[in-house]
Amino acid sequence: MLNETALQEIQELKIRYPERESALLPALYIAQREFGWLSNEALLHVANVLNLPEAKVRGTASFYSMFKDKPAGRNIVQLCTNISCMIAGSDGLVNFLQTRYGMKPDETTPDGRFSLILMECIGACGTAPAMLVNTDFHENLTEQNIGEILETYK
Amino acid sequence: MISLIINGKEIDLDTPMSVLDAARQAGIKIPTLCHHEVLKPYGGCRLCVVEVERMPKLQNACQLMAADGMVITTESEEISEVRRSILEFLLINHPLDCPYCDKAGECELQDLVNMYGPTVGRYKEEKRKVPGSHKDVILARNMERCVVCTRCVRMCRDIQGASAISMVGRGNRTKMAPFSAESFNCEYCGNCLTVCPVGAILSRLYMHSFRPWQIDEEVDTICSYCGVGCSLSVQMRDDSIKRVVPKIGAGLNRGLLCARGRFGYEYMASSDRLTVPLVKNNGKHEESTWSEAIHIVAERLAEIKSRDGGSAIGGIASARCSNEDNYIFQKFIRMACGSNNIDSLSRIGFAAAQKYFEDLLGQGITANIIDGLKNSEVIFVLGGDPTAINPVLGLSIREAAMNGSKIFTLGYARGLDRFTALQIDVPVFKEADLLEELVVSVFTAKGVRGEKLDVDNGIRIISEKLSGYYDVNGFNEMKNSLLGSSSVSIVFGPDLVQRTDGHRSIFAVAGLTYLLEARLYLLSERPNEQGLIDMGCVPDMLPGGRPVDIHDFRSKFDLLWNGTVPAEDGLTLLEMMESMKRNEIKALYIMGDNPVFNLPDRPLVTEALEALDFLVVQDLYLSETAEMADVVFPATGWTETSGTYTNLERRIQLQKKAVHVTAGMDDWKIISDLSCKMGYHMSYSDAEDIMNEIAEVSPLYRDLSYREISRGNCLWPYHGEPLRGKINELPSIAESEDTYEADFYLAPDKPLFHSGTLSRMSPSLNRISPEPALKMSDEAADKLGLGEGDRVTFSTSLGSGEARVSIDYAIRDNKVLFSNNFRDNGVYGLLNYKMDRITKAPGIEGCEVSIKKMQEH
Ligand code: SF4
Ligand code: SF4
Ligand code: SF4
Ligand code: FES
Ligand code: FES
Repeated sequence: MLNETALQEIQELKIRYPERESALLPALYIAQREFGWLSNEALLHVANVLNLPEAKVRGTASFYSMFKDKPAGRNIVQLCTNISCMIAGSDGLVNFLQTRYGMKPDETTPDGRFSLILMECIGACGTAPAMLVNTDFHENLTEQNIGEILETYK
Repeated sequence: MISLIINGKEIDLDTPMSVLDAARQAGIKIPTLCHHEVLKPYGGCRLCVVEVERMPKLQNACQLMAADGMVITTESEEISEVRRSILEFLLINHPLDCPYCDKAGECELQDLVNMYGPTVGRYKEEKRKVPGSHKDVILARNMERCVVCTRCVRMCRDIQGASAISMVGRGNRTKMAPFSAESFNCEYCGNCLTVCPVGAILSRLYMHSFRPWQIDEEVDTICSYCGVGCSLSVQMRDDSIKRVVPKIGAGLNRGLLCARGRFGYEYMASSDRLTVPLVKNNGKHEESTWSEAIHIVAERLAEIKSRDGGSAIGGIASARCSNEDNYIFQKFIRMACGSNNIDSLSRIGFAAAQKYFEDLLGQGITANIIDGLKNSEVIFVLGGDPTAINPVLGLSIREAAMNGSKIFTLGYARGLDRFTALQIDVPVFKEADLLEELVVSVFTAKGVRGEKLDVDNGIRIISEKLSGYYDVNGFNEMKNSLLGSSSVSIVFGPDLVQRTDGHRSIFAVAGLTYLLEARLYLLSERPNEQGLIDMGCVPDMLPGGRPVDIHDFRSKFDLLWNGTVPAEDGLTLLEMMESMKRNEIKALYIMGDNPVFNLPDRPLVTEALEALDFLVVQDLYLSETAEMADVVFPATGWTETSGTYTNLERRIQLQKKAVHVTAGMDDWKIISDLSCKMGYHMSYSDAEDIMNEIAEVSPLYRDLSYREISRGNCLWPYHGEPLRGKINELPSIAESEDTYEADFYLAPDKPLFHSGTLSRMSPSLNRISPEPALKMSDEAADKLGLGEGDRVTFSTSLGSGEARVSIDYAIRDNKVLFSNNFRDNGVYGLLNYKMDRITKAPGIEGCEVSIKKMQEH
């Protein structure tokens, strides 16, 4: 269940827009903030509070990679593997992450330290390959520097 | 006027439309994939691209509006190339398991690839795998085949209004899914299946049992479940029904169906169907022959008639049967048996309301086109959930809401929940109080209308006692909306008829209809409730709504029917039950209904039927009532017989015979054979022959023919002459004295997945909804310490039942709802009633119920 403050926030969102649908994305953010990720229960809860169809809520949440459909690790690594990054060697980085840290796409390491998500273009083609760790941006990645960067996230 | 040229052909348009529609209208085909004619243009697939002169790029024909002077080419090398590429991309992930796919042969993707190629694909990688998408009881979802056209999602959201599915995920991994990701748990209308162009959504009812091109016969007919009367096609192979499909654009439903219409057809082939006549000997049914059984019935009825007079015989007609069946039935009871004691189970809802509305406002007042709901600014829904009772009518209300109409509901209407501007709550069973105040407030604002003096008078009398204000949330908002709108529709359901003071609600709603010049719709649970009234299966009216007690009408029928129509009004249904108990009615003939199960107070009904000397039932299966009968005739049903049905709009439609019959006999045929045996001659070659007679004797159906009816637009008032109403009695204005202080009350539930007592013989509907649920509010469940799915026993003073609890947030009072569809486990038998003295419907309100949790082993 969402706590009173979170519910209150969502109620306020509802009044802010002419259509209830418009409040969906911000409401999902609040739910994710509260629960850490968006379980079916969390989605149902948002659907009920906004009186929107459950399927619609799920469809919307599933479209955005920033909404998590399973519990995530302490640090979220979002590595781009789209065209530019791929040409600049992102596939090798994916392998490296797997051998070195045991990170697999869409999974969380057993120690809960990292979750890896493979991204479509994150807008850094000029400095590819690139990734986001949590909200920090890292570019011009190599097997060398990616290890150093990740070491700063515990 | 818009003039444009497509492929060198000059086309003139009167109304604005897309290039795609303009081309289609001119007989030019443009391929499409994401577009569907019942959906709004979407522009997702780009298969419909065309070249437009002076436009730099190819354009989507489905989205581009035709404009004056446009010059368009729909096929060229460049266009073909684009289409071929799009298809090649789609085939990257498509499994191409056509030999195994039920859709092959009627698959749009297959046809398009056949037309434009590619013949070989260049993609060499792994195709996308989507595991575990086949888990629903009815709909088989195969997301590897999905081409992400989103037609299903748009259908479910924009037309069905259920929004039960959505596109989930992104890019390459996008697929359609219901919320649960496995089972649909939805309204199961199957309309998503209708529009899916590929084999991504299929029906489990006929999986892998035939190929579409093996269908050897298709019959266009109507649905047998409710008073909407949707058009559908029955497809057969080797004389057995393979599936039911809607015809896009056809009928009043324009290709939409509900779960019952689409998936409920299997009952016809049920092994529970009766095959031979049964005759009771020493309390046990024994198989008999047609001639013996007819002989026995003729003899016994003649004997009772000569001993006790015609009025000792009663007849119960059926809203499941056709106009022709019902016409013959009342003719038989009146002329061969000599009795006006004819009524139907419709008296407990539709017929009671219809009669009082017509008495007040004139014949045909409820004859309004369902489609008209869409154009109403304000719709007031009361007395039942239209989306469950008459699902396809419910869609029009949802559509109106989506287009900005205001919907007000009084009472439970779960399916309109997300579409309602305001749900009005009143203290339990006190709706009539609110409605009377509402009509008074409208009257105060608008003044006398002066067309129907009796109604004006009635309203004036009420308004002298009332203030025109009712203290519930939203009363004023609703009043102002009604007053401020020039197009109001009122949708009235059976719940408010089944009240001891039901006439108060009906009068008030009639008053609103009259003062606001609103369109009035009466929900109708069975397919021919209106038709049986028109055919004269009521105790006080001859065919065409002509009162029995008026000598001139009677003598006309005397002449036409070659005999004497009994002069006295007969008894209504509940009065007949009373009379049977008093041993006055001694024989009862029931065509196609099941009063033991479908009427309130089962002990009373059983006692009444037991007191009879002779009971005849004709039906499709051995119902609870047929079990008590002295003689049982096996009848034919839906796809086995032809006849006409009059839906709740009073549209007359043709139901067509589709399969050969091996067992039962048509209802009208059984009765006409019997009638001859009793010395009243009847001879008809077929149902059409009967309709010809109806067209001759009924002033309403004058000159009507099957030819005209089959054109599908046979609408009230046909060519006939409606009669002006006559008011029998004005309602008392006394508020009901009863107070309702019990913890919980039992009331009927009208579910979406079952209807009447035939749907329980359809395995697929049973898979969707295998057992009845006791529905209650969150609050009630808390109070009782119950949770979703708990097993409970519940009892009233008349008996008890067992069910699982289903918590329903749309219930907002202390009623608990239970359905009347499952064998020996229905709500009506447990409800006692007091008859409404004006409408003669049973008032079943205020039936206290106690609920106990059962221990699960
Ligand atoms: S069957 Fe009807 S309600 Fe269910 S998903 Fe398909 S369109 Fe929606
Ligand atoms: S399931 Fe069918 S209708 Fe729905 S998106 Fe896929 S292909 Fe289109
Ligand atoms: S709305 Fe009524 S007539 Fe139409 S398919 Fe459903 S049950 Fe049949
Ligand atoms: S492709 Fe990786 S940032 Fe654009
Ligand atoms: S049919 Fe026009 S874009 Fe799909």
